[in-house]
Amino acid sequence: MTQGVIVGGWQYVWMAYGLTFSAFAIYGVTLLVRLRDAARRESA
Amino acid sequence: MEITKVNRSKTPYAFLALGVLLLAIGSYYGLYVAPAEQYMGNVQRIMYVHVPTAWNWMLAVLFAFGCATVYLFKGDLKWDARMEGGLEVGTLLAFLLCCQGSIWAKPTWGVWWDWDPRLTTTAVLLFAFLGILALRKFVEDPVKRAIWSAVATVVASIDLPIVYMSVKWWNSLHQQQSTPQTVASAFHLPLRVNAFGILFVMIGFIMLRTRLAALRLNQELAVPPVPSAEEAGELA
Repeated sequence: MTQGVIVGGWQYVWMAYGLTFSAFAIYGVTLLVRLRDAARRESA
Repeated sequence: MEITKVNRSKTPYAFLALGVLLLAIGSYYGLYVAPAEQYMGNVQRIMYVHVPTAWNWMLAVLFAFGCATVYLFKGDLKWDARMEGGLEVGTLLAFLLCCQGSIWAKPTWGVWWDWDPRLTTTAVLLFAFLGILALRKFVEDPVKRAIWSAVATVVASIDLPIVYMSVKWWNSLHQQQSTPQTVASAFHLPLRVNAFGILFVMIGFIMLRTRLAALRLNQELAVPPVPSAEEAGELA
């Protein structure tokens, strides 16, 4: 940090975006898997 | 036989596709086109995911609260399924909100976490929703589960206005609510595009999660098949 201005910091930006999109992707996949299993149980 | 109507349309997938497209456009603009902020520099770009997550998290909590209230008045289990969708997606957004805020706090406040009123009240609601989801796992009777979790959701949602007003009521490290007048116009586009992106993703997720809850309810409430005469004879 220089004179009250934050220099750099891209690693935090990538961390926040990476976490957000990874969480959405992982949740989406688990949701689809659970739906597929529920549909199988329904048709069984 | 369907006891709780299951929506099997492709609409949630359309919402998800549109949301992902908008998020890709908004994030590209926020990361590469929008200018860096004067004091926070590039770190401020976290705002383009953090603030839309916060707005949509509040909508998810309101949705769960609305479904819980309607269920308590009407007793129709389709509202319980919708509440479950809102609860789970709301928990996901609350978790993301706390993590994004923590990542933004480190370079700006110097710490990953502070027991500041805004952060604390948000964490309280995250853990309350986690508790309600855990409660739903352990209660087998669908009607008891629906009533107990609806009451718990209504009680937990009282925290939402406290989260919103916390930065005004108490001394907070967290900044106060922004308005279009307090945010530079160059930041508006990625903020709004990502807000709609997360909104559409959230709607798609809630619709799919509601479908899953409705399928489970139908299986739980299904009348077991009447045994045939031969099977009944074997049992006797």
